[in-house]
Amino acid sequence: MLEKKTQQQPKKKQQTKSRFDVTDAANTALFLAAFVGIWQLVFMLGIWPKTLMPSPAQVATTVANLVSNSLLTSGIGVTMIRLAAGFVISIGIGAVVGLAMVKFRGFGKTMSSFAVGLLTFPSIAWVPFAILLIGFNDLGILFVVIMASVFSVMITTYSSIRNIPPIYLRAANNMGAKGFALFRYVMIPAATPSLILGIRQAWSFAWHALIGAEMLITTVMYGVERYGLGHVLSVGRDYNDMSQIIATMIAIFTIGLIFDRVIFRKIEERVRSRWGLDQHSDNA
Amino acid sequence: MIASEYKEKSAGGAVMLQVRAVSKVFETNSQKAPSNHVVLNGVSIDIKDGEFVTIVGPSGCGKSTLLNIIAGLDSPDSGSVFVKGERKTSTDPDRIVIFQEGALFPWLTVIENVEFGLKLTGVPKEKRMESASHFVHMMQLSRFSNSYTYQLSGGMKQRVAIARALAMNPDILLMDEPFAALDVQTRDMLHSHLLQIHEATKKTILFVTHNINEALLLGNRIIVLSPSLGNIKRDISIDLPRPRDIDSPELVLLKRQILKELEEDFQLARKENTTATKEKAAN
Repeated sequence: MLEKKTQQQPKKKQQTKSRFDVTDAANTALFLAAFVGIWQLVFMLGIWPKTLMPSPAQVATTVANLVSNSLLTSGIGVTMIRLAAGFVISIGIGAVVGLAMVKFRGFGKTMSSFAVGLLTFPSIAWVPFAILLIGFNDLGILFVVIMASVFSVMITTYSSIRNIPPIYLRAANNMGAKGFALFRYVMIPAATPSLILGIRQAWSFAWHALIGAEMLITTVMYGVERYGLGHVLSVGRDYNDMSQIIATMIAIFTIGLIFDRVIFRKIEERVRSRWGLDQHSDNA
Repeated sequence: MIASEYKEKSAGGAVMLQVRAVSKVFETNSQKAPSNHVVLNGVSIDIKDGEFVTIVGPSGCGKSTLLNIIAGLDSPDSGSVFVKGERKTSTDPDRIVIFQEGALFPWLTVIENVEFGLKLTGVPKEKRMESASHFVHMMQLSRFSNSYTYQLSGGMKQRVAIARALAMNPDILLMDEPFAALDVQTRDMLHSHLLQIHEATKKTILFVTHNINEALLLGNRIIVLSPSLGNIKRDISIDLPRPRDIDSPELVLLKRQILKELEEDFQLARKENTTATKEKAAN
């Protein structure tokens, strides 16, 4: 009886999932249509001049132009490289310090309250500091991005490992897992579900900080201006080009959505289902 | 008196496990009344190779603490534990604990859980897969080799935990109320399963439970722990063949005796408690 139940489960899961996806897509399309409709309506009411409130069609043309003159695409490229670099460095430093916090309890205690304080610190407030200390360059931007996300990684590493159910560690210990083996085969996998949540949060901090920093720190390297998306955005403001501003905002929004919904959510779902954390939502 | 009783029993047959004068005190750090609670007060036990010993007692009598100390997961305040004459102070794969919650790793499949310990000891992949599938098969879980633990029922999880423990080929299996969270039918099934395993492998088993019926059905020997003594109250050998009938006159009689002693003990503990509070009130 029990065996049947477990075998049926995957099937049921798939069914509900695919049905959900269809309604999800329909809802999204409906929402988008309504949004563009209202936008068009506001445009046609003529409350603001056309230059300040362009129509959806105008913005679509601007997007096409920005892509064809490669301002938007290269902007995305530059921003993505910075994001990847900053995020990877953050994870590296955050993980190492977080592990040290677990290992040395006194340090962990002090550092965690310090890091929590810096977690709530607005990342944009690092910009003046970065400009004076490092200058108007990629490293300045990178510094802001790292400062924005590294503490989140640190705290996550620290708390995920500390919150591992002790029973796993006891069982592993009992079977002879010690030192690195315990860390590699038990602590890391046991902490993974909560590590992923924290990394997702760190990513979002890094992303916020990056666009902000790009708007404020214009970088010139080897005589060539390197435009990130944030810079394209502030150039739009300099030229009173609302169409470009909105087009860039859409690009930023889309990138955020892709990362959060597609990449991180996929990973999280996989981990959650494999770790068996989705049980209650399945039954409901 | 108790001492002479166990010495008598340990005569003859190889001694597998010796517990010598183990004591453990828990400090309760409540601000109002910081007090020391003596959980184990000089407990000594000898267990022979292949014995199936059940330790029974009400909750709080220190039976799980004793088991953890034997496993090396907890250290005694005084006293020591010997396995095959060798003193043990830390955990070791020669004594594997089966926890009440199973403590399986949710990120591994059934077969991966079972081979986990072998992987740690560096057994090559093919060999450990072979050994793991052997024990998975023994626990009748072959169909679920590649399932994750959340897909299993409580009883199946405990079977995986047993397979995982057996795969380590320990000298002693330490079972800490492993079936307490299961329904009656599943528990009965696992009892007969466990008896078969004991028959087949001749492992020394130390089985902690608060359930007197369970203790009577499974053990060659029953040790009754008393919370007020912090020590062994009775040490009884049962020579009845297994599987046993809990309604057989011998077991009914034994059960009545054990219950009566635990009841006396309970009354005693309550009396001590009330006198203690009275004294406190007087102060």
